Amino acid sequence: MTEHGSYLPPAGESAGDGALLEPFEVFRQEKEGDAMRHGGSVMAPDGELAVHYAREMYGRRQESIRLWVVRRSDIRELDDPDLLQPPLDRSFKKPGGYVMRDKLAAARERSGQEKPSGGRPRSAPPPTRKSHEG
Amino acid sequence: MTTAGADLVPATRNALSLLLLSMADDEFVIGFSDSEWTGIAPLLEEDVAMSSLAQDELGHAQALYRLLADVVADGRDADAIAFDRPPEGYYHARLLDHPRGDWAHTIARRFLYDTADAVRLEALANSSFVPLREVVDKVRREERYHVMHVTTWFERLAGSGGEARGRLLDALEQMGPDAGTVLSPLPTELALEMAAIVAAPLAELEARWRASLAPTFARFDLPPLPPTRDPDRARTNHSDAFRWLHGEFTSVRQLDRGATW
Amino acid sequence: MTDPISLEPILSSRERGRLLFNEDLPHDGRYAAFEEHILAGGKIEAGDWMPDEYRQGVLRFVEMHANSELMGVLPEREWILRAPTLRRKLALTAKVQDEVGHAQLLYRVAEDLGKSRGQMIEDLLAGKTKFHNVFHYPTRSWADVGVIAWLVDAAAIVAQQALRDSSYAPYARTMRKICWEESVHIMHGRDVVVTMVNGTQAQRDMVQEALDRWWGPLMQMHGPRSDRARDRDIYWRIKAKTSEELRQEFLSIYVPRVWELGLTLPDPELRRDREDGVWHYSEPDWQELRTVVTNHGPRSQERLAFRRENWADTAWVRAIVLGARGAAA
Repeated sequence: MTEHGSYLPPAGESAGDGALLEPFEVFRQEKEGDAMRHGGSVMAPDGELAVHYAREMYGRRQESIRLWVVRRSDIRELDDPDLLQPPLDRSFKKPGGYVMRDKLAAARERSGQEKPSGGRPRSAPPPTRKSHEG
Repeated sequence: MTTAGADLVPATRNALSLLLLSMADDEFVIGFSDSEWTGIAPLLEEDVAMSSLAQDELGHAQALYRLLADVVADGRDADAIAFDRPPEGYYHARLLDHPRGDWAHTIARRFLYDTADAVRLEALANSSFVPLREVVDKVRREERYHVMHVTTWFERLAGSGGEARGRLLDALEQMGPDAGTVLSPLPTELALEMAAIVAAPLAELEARWRASLAPTFARFDLPPLPPTRDPDRARTNHSDAFRWLHGEFTSVRQLDRGATW
Repeated sequence: MTDPISLEPILSSRERGRLLFNEDLPHDGRYAAFEEHILAGGKIEAGDWMPDEYRQGVLRFVEMHANSELMGVLPEREWILRAPTLRRKLALTAKVQDEVGHAQLLYRVAEDLGKSRGQMIEDLLAGKTKFHNVFHYPTRSWADVGVIAWLVDAAAIVAQQALRDSSYAPYARTMRKICWEESVHIMHGRDVVVTMVNGTQAQRDMVQEALDRWWGPLMQMHGPRSDRARDRDIYWRIKAKTSEELRQEFLSIYVPRVWELGLTLPDPELRRDREDGVWHYSEPDWQELRTVVTNHGPRSQERLAFRRENWADTAWVRAIVLGARGAAA
């Protein structure tokens, strides 16, 4: 998918001396609930030692609770801006596309009501549905 | 705080001290030869791994020396026990007197030691002596990685043929007669078995250990290990190499025994 | 390019936010776009197109850094054996392990720029590439261990912190990890020094003697003053600060911390100007620096020889994991 400009160097460049060592990318989770985050890479002859080395480089200080170790050549990268940053308006898919400040102000003025604060005003009916608007 | 083992009878306490000393000294001394690879291991990543193993051993030694200090309760702390003895006062297994050697020697020695130590630790896992049980529980969890890592390398060397296998065979030949010294009987161990501090006599543990290695040795067509040479002196009569090591590792401390470093 | 049924993008590549220099354009166009990107604070990843000057500049910089971590292990490793307490032994083993780990991280960054690890190590051992001056000197006592871990690492971290925003993103990320790890080393070193200073007179004397020996190399470590406007590494944002800026930062933080322990530094000119806060000092011996980094320092040849021997001794191990070609010493 990617044409130029990868985060990862082209495969084989780092194995310049005909080596059987391959780069393995290491992802780590620092604490429960965290997403897996890229930490770096290790060189290893196979998956088994790659896991040991990942533990050494990214886990020997008890700084991770989980590691994913992936052969770099198994990673499929997408960085095509046409796909990831398509140019036409997409604000209907994002919160920023729903700025209602002026509309709400106009509606409140029409109904003669204040903007609601923390408690429910006695005169207003109780909400029948939980509101999830921002 | 009551001294650990204060409620043990003297015979048991002495036997326990000897066991703790043997284990602590084993971990302390193997840590030296491993840390000699620091900065010069065959692969950078492996350098970091070997160093972790060495640090773990040192941490285990420290925990065991502390426990020993508590049991013996003669005013010495862990550091004093670790450092302030003459060479003949060290009680580590003769297997660990062998110098670092090449990578095959290091892997062979580690493999023989870690597998034997695993059997020893297992026999202490349900020790009646609670402080020891607690230390052993933590140490076993860390040792799992050691056995995984050295086994990977042992099998890689054994299975690779050519020079690598040749060197491993050399190493096994040289260290084979001393391999069992880790589990050679201790003079006072009967008291430990009677107090249920250890689950079985060391002779039984040694047999169990040898049996556990047999499948791996068979699979890689390695000659079986010979019986232990001179088992009565399994932990004494240390080599000149160890004497030299002792001179080095005490050189700063002995400048001023009373100083804080 | 001229396929009539291909879907042409509606907007030009610049407006699409694509990195223009990664387009298949003539060199001068790419170069200009690359330069603009860097000067605007943009970042570069390993797979991006780079002008040769940039690629070589980063590679040289990172390679020397990696070499220094690897050689830096040697002065300290013999003291692991001699550490006087279990805790100090553990701390020093961990510190030295970290240096090796840093070498791994940095060689990885350099490898991904196209030079193999084996080649880099061979160039180091053949004396073709350099490593930092401080690692060419002997260590003589336990006090050296404290002084190195504290002040040499401090001088290094001052430089490394300034690299955390390098234009070459893999290097910047590595610097962040390294800085985090190095901060512990400095604390360990300072602890060793302070403990000795609070100890016996013999221990205090040992520390002072070590400091007297290490101060010269420390002052030379960041290198001679250079003209910011002519520094290509600064131009490409590979690094952000000049040698003198780093040295001033180091002096500002650490000289007071040395003096507060009652220790002296062997430079009668060393003082901070009360008006502008600039530190004055005797001119470091740049001739010594030049001599040392070209591998004519007191321990340069011995350490390189030691490494060469070990590299040869372990070639057979690499042969198993690498295949015979990669193992050649």
